[in-house]
Amino acid sequence: MLPQAARNDKSAARCYHLATSAPGGNPIELRRPPLAIVLVAVLVMALGETGGAALSQLRPSIDRYATARVNANPEAHGISGSAEYDDEVRSRAVYSAEAGLSFFHTHAEGLGLILFFTSTLVASVVAGRRVRAALYVVLTAGSLFPLGYLVYGAGVLELGREAGIELAERWVLMPLGSAAIAGLTALAVCLAARARAASRPSPP
Amino acid sequence: MREPPTWRLPPVWVLLVAVVLIVCAEVGGASMSRFKIELTRWARGTMLTHPAVHGLVGVRDVDERILDEALVKFDAGLRLFHMHAEGMGLVIIATTTVAATLVRTAPARPLIISLLTVGGTCYPLGYLLWAALIPYVGLERGKAIAEWLVWIPFGGATIVALWWLAGVVALRLVRR
Repeated sequence: MLPQAARNDKSAARCYHLATSAPGGNPIELRRPPLAIVLVAVLVMALGETGGAALSQLRPSIDRYATARVNANPEAHGISGSAEYDDEVRSRAVYSAEAGLSFFHTHAEGLGLILFFTSTLVASVVAGRRVRAALYVVLTAGSLFPLGYLVYGAGVLELGREAGIELAERWVLMPLGSAAIAGLTALAVCLAARARAASRPSPP
Repeated sequence: MREPPTWRLPPVWVLLVAVVLIVCAEVGGASMSRFKIELTRWARGTMLTHPAVHGLVGVRDVDERILDEALVKFDAGLRLFHMHAEGMGLVIIATTTVAATLVRTAPARPLIISLLTVGGTCYPLGYLLWAALIPYVGLERGKAIAEWLVWIPFGGATIVALWWLAGVVALRLVRR
C-alpha cells in the first residue's frame, strides 16, 4: 500500500467531486444557517401560502368584514351620508385592504425564499462570526417586510386609506424594507471581498 | 470542535420535478408572449362556438364586452401559471431541503417531502387548467372545476406540509 497523507480519508468519488466541482475556486459545502432563521423562513412562506389561500377562498367574507369595518369608522373614512360618494369611498377602502392581503401573499413567498437562500450563503461564505450574526439579524428583519402589508390592510380599514397607508409605510414597510436592502448589500460586499481575496495570487 | 451543520439534498427526483416545473414556467411565459395573438384567436374562436355558455346574445356591443372580460381572465390564468410555477419550483427546492435536513423521523420526512413536491408542482397547473377551461365552460364553472380538482387539494397539501415543517423546526429549536 502506498503511503497516505494525513487525514486522507475521503473516498475516490469524493476526491473526484472536490477536484472537479468548482474549477478555479475552492469547493465549499452549503452550510445551514441557525435553526431560528430556518424557522422564520419556513414560517414566512407558510404564512404567504395561507394568506393566498384565504384571499382566494374567503373573498366574500373578507369583503363583508372590510365593508363592516369601514362602516364602523365613518369619520376616518370621511363617510358623508351621500350614498353615491360613500359607496365609492367604501369600495376604494375595501380594494386597498384586499391589495394589502394580495401583496402580503406575493411578498411573503418571495422574502421567505430570499431569507432561505441568502442566510445559506451567509453561513457558507462569510467567515467572521460577528459579521455573520449581524447579517442574520438584518436579513431576518428584512424577511418580515411582508407583515407591513397586513398592517397596510388593517390600517386602511381602521384609520382610513391615507392614514393607514402612511402608518404601514412609515413604521413597518420602510424600516423592514431598508433592513432587507442593507442586508443584501452587505452580503454583496462580503461576497465581493471574498472574490477579491480569492483572486489574489497566493504567496509562494 | 463541532462541525458546522450543512444542508442535505432532497431526493434527486424532487429536484428534477422542481427544475422541470421552473422550465415549464419559463416556457409558458415565453409562449404567452410569442403566441399571444394565436392564443387569443383560439380562445375567442372557441368561445364563439359555445355562445350559450358565455351568455352571448348576438348583439355586438353586449357580446364584445363579455368576450373581452373572458379573454382578460384567460390571459390572467396563463400569467398566474407562469408566476406560480416559477415561485413554487423554488419553494419546493427550499422547503424539501429543510425537510431532508431537519426532519429526522422516517415516516414524517418522506411524507412532508412528497406533500411539498406533489402539492407545489400540481397547484400551478390549476391556473393552466382554468385558462384552458374558460373558453369551453365559462369563467365561473372553469374556476370551480380548477378549484375542486387542483387548487384546494394540492394547495391544501402544500399548506399542511409547510405548517407541519414549521412545527418540526420549532420543536427542534425548543428541544435544543
